[in-house]
Amino acid sequence: MNLNVNGRTHEIESPPLTTLLDVLREELGVHSPKVGCEQGGCGACTVLVDGAPRRSCLLPVAALDGAEITTVEGLGAAEHLEPVQAAFVHHYAAQCGFCTSGLLMAATAYIANGGTDDREAIAEALGGHVCRCTGYVKIVDAVAAAARGDEFDLSVTAAGLFTTTMSGGAA
Amino acid sequence: MKAVGARVPRYDGVAHVTGRTVFVEDVEIPGVAWVKALRSPHHHATITKLDTRPAEQMKGVRAVVTAADVPLNVYGHLSALGIPGDEPLLADAEVRYLGQPIAVVAADDEQTAQAAVDAIEIEFEERPALFDVRKAFDPDAPQIHQWGNWYPHFEAGMDRRQIRKGDIDAAFAQADVIVQGVYRPAAIEQLPLETQVCQVVPEANGRLTIYSCTQALYFSMGVVAAHLQQPLNKFKFVGGTVGGGFGGKVDTATETLCSLLALKSGRPTKWRWTREEEFLCSSTRAPWHMEMADAVTKDGWILGRRMITLHDSGAYARFSPYGVTKHAFHHTGAYTIPNLHFDGWCVFTNRTPTSAMRGFGVTSVSFATETHLSRIAEELGIDPFELRLKNANRIGDTSPNGVVYTDPSTVPTILAIADHLGHELPADYRTMTSEPRSDGLLPEHLVAQVGNPEDH
Ligand code: FES
Ligand code: FES
Repeated sequence: MNLNVNGRTHEIESPPLTTLLDVLREELGVHSPKVGCEQGGCGACTVLVDGAPRRSCLLPVAALDGAEITTVEGLGAAEHLEPVQAAFVHHYAAQCGFCTSGLLMAATAYIANGGTDDREAIAEALGGHVCRCTGYVKIVDAVAAAARGDEFDLSVTAAGLFTTTMSGGAA
Repeated sequence: MKAVGARVPRYDGVAHVTGRTVFVEDVEIPGVAWVKALRSPHHHATITKLDTRPAEQMKGVRAVVTAADVPLNVYGHLSALGIPGDEPLLADAEVRYLGQPIAVVAADDEQTAQAAVDAIEIEFEERPALFDVRKAFDPDAPQIHQWGNWYPHFEAGMDRRQIRKGDIDAAFAQADVIVQGVYRPAAIEQLPLETQVCQVVPEANGRLTIYSCTQALYFSMGVVAAHLQQPLNKFKFVGGTVGGGFGGKVDTATETLCSLLALKSGRPTKWRWTREEEFLCSSTRAPWHMEMADAVTKDGWILGRRMITLHDSGAYARFSPYGVTKHAFHHTGAYTIPNLHFDGWCVFTNRTPTSAMRGFGVTSVSFATETHLSRIAEELGIDPFELRLKNANRIGDTSPNGVVYTDPSTVPTILAIADHLGHELPADYRTMTSEPRSDGLLPEHLVAQVGNPEDH
C-alpha cells in the first residue's frame, strides 16, 4: 500500500494493523508526531489525514491506502514558518514542545476550515489535546492571533531579543 | 539585566514548531531492542518462585535481568549523603508496592518483549498492606520496611524532623484562642506528556551512551554508576530535552535497567513506559497528613504553632526525607511565628514511592498555612489581609530553622494582591513595609521574641 506523507509517496512495508503513528515514526523516520498515550487520550500524535486532524495512534495503516498525510515537517521550515507556527513562537505557546506538533496540526485544520479568533471555538477545536506545561492560555492566544491574520515579526536585536512587543507591533 | 522587561525568544521555540526538537525517543538507533518489565501485581508480597528460563528461551529475546544480575542491587537516592540504601533496583525476596519491577527483558520488538515478560514464571505469597500513614504507628500495623514503618536517619539519628523554637508552652498559656486544623492534600501524578523513556547504546570503546529524559543528569549518572559499580567515565549521558517533568523525572527510573540489559545483550536498548505504567508505577507527589494548632491573641497575633506532619513516602525513602526537611523549614509559610513545636515523620506505606513535584515538601504546607490563616481570620472576625500583614515575615525575622530574613517579600506581595483586588486597608496596614517591626504594630509580648535570632 501507499501513503503520501508531506507530498512524498512511500510504499509501506509494516504489517497492516501497525498504527499510522508507528509507521510514521519507525518506518518513515517522521518524528514530529509524539507518543503520549497510544490510547487516543492526549492528542500528541495528531496529524492531518486528507486535511482532517486525526489521532495517528488509533489508525491502522491498512485503512489509509492512498491517503495524504500532513505532519509538522510538512508545514514551513525555519525560514518560512506558516503563520500558525510563527504565532506559537511569538506567543510562547510551546514550552517543552512535546504536545506542540499535535496542537499545530489541529490548529492548522481549524484555521483552514475558516475558524475565527473566538476563544471558545478554539478551545472546543483543541479540546482533546493535553498540554501539561502552558496552561493553554498562550496556545489559545497563538491560534487566535493566527486565525485573525496577525503578522509576526520574529526578528531579533543584536542582543538576541525580539524587536516586537507582545501585541505584535514594534517595541 | 537587558532581558528584564524585554521579550526573549525561547532558544528552542523555532525547533519546537518545525518538528526539529530531538526528544529521547526521536534518536534513531538501528537494531535497538525493546525493554519491558515484569512488575509486581501486589501491594505487598513475598516472592516464592521466580523462573525466567521460559523467557530466556524465546526467539527474539536478547537478555533477561533479575536482581541477581545487579552488581549493587540495593541503593538509595540519598546514598551520596551517607544515608544507607533501602530500595532494590529489582525486587528479590519481597515486593512492597504494586508495579515494583522484578525482572526486565530486552527483545527484538515490543510484542516479543511483552510476551517474554508474560512467560516468566512467578509466584507470590500476599502479605497485609499498609496504606494509611496514620495507622503506621499502631503496634499491630503491617511491618512493611526493613527500617520499620518510618525513616530513622534524620540528623543525629533522629526518627523525625524536629523543630523547637522559643517557648511553646508560654505561647499557648498566653493565647486567647487556639485554632486547630487538619489538612490532607492527596497524591498527584506529575503526568508529563512524554512518559519515562531512555535509550542506551553500548559503544565499541566499552562505554555506554545513555539518552535520558532525566531532570537531573549528573545525579542519574551517579545512580547508574553506583548500581553498576563502574566509574563515571564509563558513561556518556545525553540529556537536555525533557518532554515535561514537573519533578517526576528526578528519580532515576529507566537508565540503570536499560544499561544492564545493554551490557548483558550487547545490543542497544530502549524503554518507554506506557501511559498506564506512568500512572501506576512512576513516583507521584506525596499525600500529606498535617495537624496544626495555633495559639492566637484576639487581635490576630499568632504566638505559637504546634504541628505534626506525616509524609507518605510510599514504599521507599528516595528523596522524601529531603522533602520533609524542606517542609519543616517552611512550615510557617510566609509568616513569622515566634514559638514553634514541629515534628515531621517520613512514613513508609505500600504506595508507589513518592517524590518531587513543583515545590517539593513546601506546597503542601503552604496550602495548609494559608487555609489555616483564613480560618483564624474567620474565627476572630478579622480581615484576612490584615491578619496576614500583621504576622508577615519582616527583615530580621527568622525562619523556623533560624535563617535570618534579609529580603522577605510577604508584605509587598500581600499589599499588591489587596491593591489588585481593590481591597481596602486601614492606613497603618496600607503603608506597612518589610522593615523591622519598629512600628506601633508590634505588641509588647512579641518585642522580646521577634527579630532577635540569638534568642531562638
Ligand atoms: S498518543 Fe495518540 S492520542 Fe495520545
Ligand atoms: S508544552 Fe509541554 S506539554 Fe505542552
